[in-house]
Amino acid sequence: MSTRDLVLTALFAAIIVALGLLPPIYLGFLPVPITAQSLGVMMAGVVLGARRGAIAVMIVLLLVAIGLPVLSGGRGGLAIFTAPTAGFLIGWIFAAFVTGYLSERLVNDQQSGLVQTVSFFLTAMVGGIVVLYAFGITYLATVAGLGFTKAFVGSMAFVPGDVIKAVVAALLGRAVMVGYPLLPLRA
Amino acid sequence: MQSLYVEGNSVMHRLSPRLKLVSLAALSVVLFITDNLAPLSIAVLLTAVLYGMVGLPFADALRRLRPIFLTIAVVALFNLIFNPWHEALVPLLRLTALMLFAATVTATTSITAFIDEVTALARPLERTGWVQADDIGLALGLVLRFVPEIVTRYQAIREAHRARGLKVRPTSLLAPLIILTLKDADNIAAAIDARGIRRHGS
Repeated sequence: MSTRDLVLTALFAAIIVALGLLPPIYLGFLPVPITAQSLGVMMAGVVLGARRGAIAVMIVLLLVAIGLPVLSGGRGGLAIFTAPTAGFLIGWIFAAFVTGYLSERLVNDQQSGLVQTVSFFLTAMVGGIVVLYAFGITYLATVAGLGFTKAFVGSMAFVPGDVIKAVVAALLGRAVMVGYPLLPLRA
Repeated sequence: MQSLYVEGNSVMHRLSPRLKLVSLAALSVVLFITDNLAPLSIAVLLTAVLYGMVGLPFADALRRLRPIFLTIAVVALFNLIFNPWHEALVPLLRLTALMLFAATVTATTSITAFIDEVTALARPLERTGWVQADDIGLALGLVLRFVPEIVTRYQAIREAHRARGLKVRPTSLLAPLIILTLKDADNIAAAIDARGIRRHGS
């Protein structure tokens, strides 16, 4: 890994941590705040691609594990990984990786803005929702002993919020692609 | 950023980080083998005593675990609606004991000790070419160095939006934040290489 890639992943990890410290962002039409950290996971894949995106998320989780309160609401420490929802945290790594992997293959700078945005939206949906929930629900079903059906139903409540995050991630992915393209020069 | 480490000299403080991490892993295996309520309850009691010995004020000790315990309790309640109470109680006790022990490990191990341990554990992986162990500490240090700067930058962008009467929207705020932050990467990388911090680096 080049020093530049190392710095890029660290800076993106810092952005994800900072998103947890910032006041939640409200979208105009919804009363629900966007907790920006899971948005940061989708963005990591969309902006940095598979490998660097996944490493950025791993750095954040490593900070959590060594006892820094870097998750939103000042949560941190190894105990976080004993919560029934820990599967979603572990899934972050794979969500960023899959989002990035698909983005690297679907999006290039010759495409029109609309194609790029829609492709980013689809990759964020697959990585940030399908893959993430597969991990989260499996963990919830087995470790918390909830069973698959109930874990699935219980998790569905959070899908609408995550679809909105995928939209935001897609718009941001497109904006960064225009302003400072990193995805084509993949690590 | 304040770490969750608590100064002290309890039994757990004196054990090596590796031993604590290995015990945490071992405890999780043991807890998931048994379905019996008696040993699980004893595990909760023992880990609670251990956590109590850390030396945190009682209110702080509770406040740290509240969000995690809430999710454990909510899932247990959800479980109770559909399953017999025994099946709801087992994961509740299991995860509570694990949570208490994990919180104890976190509170009794300093960040430096943790980073040293992580670096030592990553050392054998260097042969795979996947990771340079010393990069881990460097990356963690970089994150801690730049988080305050990113927060300040976010506030500056938001102020600029307000001054120009623009609506504060996530896309218009986060796009400049990400681009401005990542554009620093070249300079920071040059500074790291100029100092020869990563001698193996390419």
